Amino acid sequence: MDKETPAEKSLNLIRGRLCAPSFVFRPLCASSDSNYSKLKFIVSTSITEGCNNSILLLGPRGSGKAAVLDLVVGDLLQEFPDSVSVIRLNGLLHSDDNCAFKEIARQLCMEHHLLFSKMASLDENSQFIVAMLRECGLAHKTIIFVLDEFDMFAQGKQRLLYSLLDAMQSVTSQAVVIGISSRLDADQLLEKRVRSRFSHRKILFLPPSREEFDGLLEHLLSLPADSSFPSGYVSRFNEKIKNIKSDTRFKDILRTLFNANSTMNSLLKFIFRAVSLMNLESGLLSLENFKAALSSMQRQPKLEAVRDCSILELYLLVCMRRLEVKEQRSYNFISVMKEYKTIHDSFQTSDYYAQNVCLRAFEHLRERQVTCYAENRGQTQTGEYRPMKLLISASELHQGMRSHACCPAILLKLLDH
Amino acid sequence: MPAIAGPSSSPQKHVVGSRLEIIGGLRSAEVNTSRKRKLRSDSAAEVLPVNLMSTPMKWKSPRRCAVSTPKTSDEEIKEDSNGDLASPVISAVKNLSVCVDVKSEWNPRDDEQMKAVKEALHVSKAPSTVVCREDEQRRVFEFVKGCMKQKKAGSLYICGCPGTGKSLSMEKVRQQAEEWAKQAGLPCPETVSVNCTSLTKTTDIFSKILGKSESGRKANASSSPLQQLQSLYSQKQQQSSSKMMLIIADEMDYLITRDRGVLHELFMLTTLPFSRCILIGVANAIDLADRFLPKLKSLNCKPVVVTFRAYSKEQILRILQERLVALPFVAFQSNALEICARKVSAASGDMRKALCVCRSALEILEIEARGSIDQEPQSPVPECQVVKMNHMLAALSKTFKSPVVDTIQSLPQHQQIIVCSAAKAFRGSKKDRTIAELNKLYVEICKSSMITPAGITEFTNMCTVLNDQGILKLSQARDDKLRRVSLRVDEADITFALKEIRFFRNCLL
Repeated sequence: MDKETPAEKSLNLIRGRLCAPSFVFRPLCASSDSNYSKLKFIVSTSITEGCNNSILLLGPRGSGKAAVLDLVVGDLLQEFPDSVSVIRLNGLLHSDDNCAFKEIARQLCMEHHLLFSKMASLDENSQFIVAMLRECGLAHKTIIFVLDEFDMFAQGKQRLLYSLLDAMQSVTSQAVVIGISSRLDADQLLEKRVRSRFSHRKILFLPPSREEFDGLLEHLLSLPADSSFPSGYVSRFNEKIKNIKSDTRFKDILRTLFNANSTMNSLLKFIFRAVSLMNLESGLLSLENFKAALSSMQRQPKLEAVRDCSILELYLLVCMRRLEVKEQRSYNFISVMKEYKTIHDSFQTSDYYAQNVCLRAFEHLRERQVTCYAENRGQTQTGEYRPMKLLISASELHQGMRSHACCPAILLKLLDH
Repeated sequence: MPAIAGPSSSPQKHVVGSRLEIIGGLRSAEVNTSRKRKLRSDSAAEVLPVNLMSTPMKWKSPRRCAVSTPKTSDEEIKEDSNGDLASPVISAVKNLSVCVDVKSEWNPRDDEQMKAVKEALHVSKAPSTVVCREDEQRRVFEFVKGCMKQKKAGSLYICGCPGTGKSLSMEKVRQQAEEWAKQAGLPCPETVSVNCTSLTKTTDIFSKILGKSESGRKANASSSPLQQLQSLYSQKQQQSSSKMMLIIADEMDYLITRDRGVLHELFMLTTLPFSRCILIGVANAIDLADRFLPKLKSLNCKPVVVTFRAYSKEQILRILQERLVALPFVAFQSNALEICARKVSAASGDMRKALCVCRSALEILEIEARGSIDQEPQSPVPECQVVKMNHMLAALSKTFKSPVVDTIQSLPQHQQIIVCSAAKAFRGSKKDRTIAELNKLYVEICKSSMITPAGITEFTNMCTVLNDQGILKLSQARDDKLRRVSLRVDEADITFALKEIRFFRNCLL
């Protein structure tokens, strides 16, 4: 196997970094005001002081809640190797009480090398859990319950939540309950008894600001200056990154991206796509990579459909649009043909086709979902008389036609006027 | 003397607690098989069996002896209002005024002091006396006493919002009943304490009661536990002085089934001629007895209802002060406690929330103190860093604020426009619209400010994201465009969140 070129190696390194949440969120550990430090403070004080706590992590999907939690748990397992055990539940899988208790019992058994019996009933499982909590409390071991998709647990009778939070009200147990949810009002979904026992600590995960994202880019994309890369290459690579970042066009790209979706997840996807498009010969990133990544992320299927239309189909679309502009709410094939004829008469275009050809083009448009039937009733009417409507907006039509390979100029004029 | 650690415990769990008194500097050691903090500092082997039967266990850290001055070293908060105290050990009644003078300085950076304060404020720590509930406790206790004296059965229903001290008071009443029985020479009542959420089937409660009943009969296969109990109570007992059974059913509304059979049978047990059970039911609904047990009224055996009202501001303040007064230092400024009490009593009157807010304020102070360590290690400790108003206000806003405003402010621009258009769309009487209509509004707003609107696919995706976060509500439909959208957030919240940006301000006018 031949050696990798530096370009390939750097590609692998960066892609590996982007896929590892622990690397991505590591800079958060440094700042003391971040969610990581807040969470770590709460959980570590609960462990050292032996008091119970419950926290809720809220934020849109893909903002790094589970990743930060994993970081915190990993660090705590290293700091307190024997006093922490983690039980993980997921609201999509374990929202049923029976399932949930069984899963907790099974994980507890695995942690402490006990034998788990699948035949145990709900009663036995819950008694076992209570007993285990007490034993762990005596042994100064904290159990961290991680409840993913917390809002799913709040359906039904909320027995699991009640028993967990109630167990934490007694001094005999030492536990921390951490819920992760993307619903901001997750604690309003709780029943009043459960809500009273919940300690109302919420940590909000907001999308990163522009400055934070700049720092993140720096952290993710700069290559380390170690011996595995040729030194000139590393400095050239990092220099190129700096140049790109200070380019105004890049800032525009970022602004467009931020306006649409600014969660960590989508930003990481954007960087991943840009990096994957890296030119392997030069081994350096360029602005075009980022542009291409943006356009691949913000695809517009209807636009692409318009771009692939034939000239006749474009004519038909323009006719339909003109009918709409003339306040004709419903139109069918016959009225479109009339408009088509008027255009041909006034502008003497060369593209004038027979009716059956136009009908076939019309059908094509409907099959590609650029137009559709205006109502679902009236199926007995033949295709020519059924009212149709456009499924794309005027601006999309405009854009599509402008980027069309060979759109006649007259069509654009017709659309504008 | 058995004493139960927490309110929700199975009947078999007994915790032996004994409490030691120190006078003048003797170390206090406490044996409590369930108190882990004790085990951490010294071995569990020290048992000094002086039993204090009257007061329930009050945990006391031996560390505090080192910190406290002789005057404050032994505090014994006076017991409940009943006054039936048979404590053989002299308890020095603490004089509040004396303590205030000699409270030592509090250093928020001291781990042990911080730990002590946090424990004093933890929800799980049962205080030695239950203040502000003396009235209700006395009523319940009188009822139980009456039943025990006359050897009659009776039923009582306790209701109140969560966090008003119902389960706590029940524990105290139980202990009081046991002591009183000892004193009066009556046989000690058997207690069954059941938390009804832990029952898989609602009829399991009868087997639990049967298991505890004096005859100790196991459930036969021939008849259900309920029938056995009914037969038991319908016949005259063999021994004349049989024990009373005190049944405490916590979270009783879990027993409500559609035909209300179980609840009914449970209360009917007390009406049987030779019944020996005193039933105390605890729930949240005030009218549970009226709504679900109408038949009892006709039989003239409606349960006595005791309502635990939500705590008022003075009560919350008093309870907080009682918890903190045991500590040898002053950790909270009094006006901070007062504002906490005021806000919580105005919101819900839930004691747990008040304790939570206080602990949160403590943590804010701790972070502040620690933060200053990191920055300037040589700076002198600032004098008297107690929890002040600003800490308490920050803690209150953290607890009571909803995260909606922050999230709306940090949404990407297009999603903010969607939220804005939704606010405009649902202003009138129309409460939901389809996605296509919302899209039209959205495109209009975009056009008015020269922003390129996103296509319909992108728009639907953004609506789904907002649905996930609980800002919009999206229904399911066959066709994507026919899905109905409604707003979950208050329009006032949206206006408040977006008021900084002029564009949205004008938009929402």
